[in-house]
Amino acid sequence: MKLLNWTVAVALATIVGCGQTPSSDTAQEPAPPAASEYLVETEPVDAVPVGEARQSVSDAQAVTLVGTIGGSSEPFVDGLAAFTIVDPNVPYCAADEGCPTPWDYCCTQDQVKDNIATVKVVDASGNPVAADARKLLQVKELSTVVVKGTATRDEQGNLTVAANEVFVRPGK
Amino acid sequence: MLLPWEYGVRNLARRPVRTALTLVALATVVMLVFVVVGFIRGLEKSLAVSGDPQVVLVYSVNAEQNIENSSIAARTPDLLTASLDGVQKRFGVTHVSPEMYLGTRIKTRDGDAGLGLVRGVTRTAPLVRRGVKIVAGSWPGPGQVLVGRLAYAKLGSRSESLTIGQTVEFEGKTWTISGLFVAGGAAYESEIWCNLAEFQTATKRQDISLAAILMAPGASASRVQLFCKERTDLELRAIVETDYYAALQQHYKPVRLLAWFVVVLVSSAGIFAGLNMMYGAVAGRVREIATLQAIGFRRRAVLLSLVQEGLLLSAAASLLSGFIALVLLNGMAVRFTMGAFTLRIDSVAILVGCGVGLALGILGALPPALKALRASVAISLKAV
Repeated sequence: MKLLNWTVAVALATIVGCGQTPSSDTAQEPAPPAASEYLVETEPVDAVPVGEARQSVSDAQAVTLVGTIGGSSEPFVDGLAAFTIVDPNVPYCAADEGCPTPWDYCCTQDQVKDNIATVKVVDASGNPVAADARKLLQVKELSTVVVKGTATRDEQGNLTVAANEVFVRPGK
Repeated sequence: MLLPWEYGVRNLARRPVRTALTLVALATVVMLVFVVVGFIRGLEKSLAVSGDPQVVLVYSVNAEQNIENSSIAARTPDLLTASLDGVQKRFGVTHVSPEMYLGTRIKTRDGDAGLGLVRGVTRTAPLVRRGVKIVAGSWPGPGQVLVGRLAYAKLGSRSESLTIGQTVEFEGKTWTISGLFVAGGAAYESEIWCNLAEFQTATKRQDISLAAILMAPGASASRVQLFCKERTDLELRAIVETDYYAALQQHYKPVRLLAWFVVVLVSSAGIFAGLNMMYGAVAGRVREIATLQAIGFRRRAVLLSLVQEGLLLSAAASLLSGFIALVLLNGMAVRFTMGAFTLRIDSVAILVGCGVGLALGILGALPPALKALRASVAISLKAV
């Protein structure tokens, strides 16, 4: 019995001794950016739908866009606060249609082409925030967002907004 | 008091024909388990090693998970190189591999014809596909191809048909095999590689299927994904290669589940066969069992001896099957939709196969032995 007790004691000491202590590397990891830095509680005024913005907005212009997160089966960029939005006027599959991924606009892809924009949430230095937008902004596919930032246009007509303010419309 | 160990061993030798037949039956069941588990492990291994976490695949957003259906502009790799930071570059060479990937009918010189996988590549391909090693011959020149270790299996042909110097025909052209390559069990091993420009000419296509990018250490694939999202006009998608094959693992999940179900079915059938056999064996020994009890052996001791017999037999069958599986089955090429892979009799397969074998011995012996022991000694002694 005494031998058994000693064996258990030694085993426990080994387990405790082998336990990992938090390394200094873990302690030095940068804290994730706070959502409040980019999320605003009041909806920015004069937001224009994505389709209209693609017609009127020019490069480097300040812009406020409204859109629905979607446009493909995976609208979010992994590891970055970036996603695509589609003009709210473009319809997507209704809930009762049973489509598992209505945010890919599978039935209205021809309309998506001219009504899509990319949103990347940027920090003060203009770099995309290295955090998943779903966690940072508490959004998901088909959430309607209003974003405020600077537009980037290219010769192919693509529209990207470097956003520093995001408002998530309630209800979606 | 327990029965002597030798008693059970000698009992097996007393009925050599029955013992041999039982051994063959048990070995067959265990062998079937080895085949199915080897299949599952081979498929899993092939998908698990196919993919490099530093490689990002850029292909058409419309192709979903099937790169064979992808078609992107041939200028895409140059566009990516010019637009992205973080792409690996050494000695002035950017590690981006433009590739055309196609399933096409391939005919060997022996006349065997099958659906094979051809990848048109440039000299940057080995820089990105770092697991690929040329084990014989050389990099393909004009009109030549490099053949993967398992390409013959994908074609349903013999390995001798795809040796250096032999020819294959696809897309209306005859190609000479210049070399053989391996890729550590990855999916590429069932492919045939040729020069991209020649392949484009042969297929009368100007596009490519994908661009594989090797990211520099510490660089994130997210930047490539963001580029694809921003350039919506190009209709591209980017995925880390390991994630692509992980998605394929999910795609093949029903196949793997079905295979495990087959393992359960085969094992159950084996247990029932074992039960049947042991019932027969014990029924013929009712008087012997009763005699053992009459001379003073307890029921538990007799039961243990009967289980010992079953266990010895099943352990022998497991060892026999394990040996055959390791020598004959391990490494055997299997043709599959995504290419080909080898059966893998690894530690897990051995554990499952031998576990099922030993379980057959125990579970098969217990019920008939219990039934025999429940009978009255006096009645059993008079049994015919």
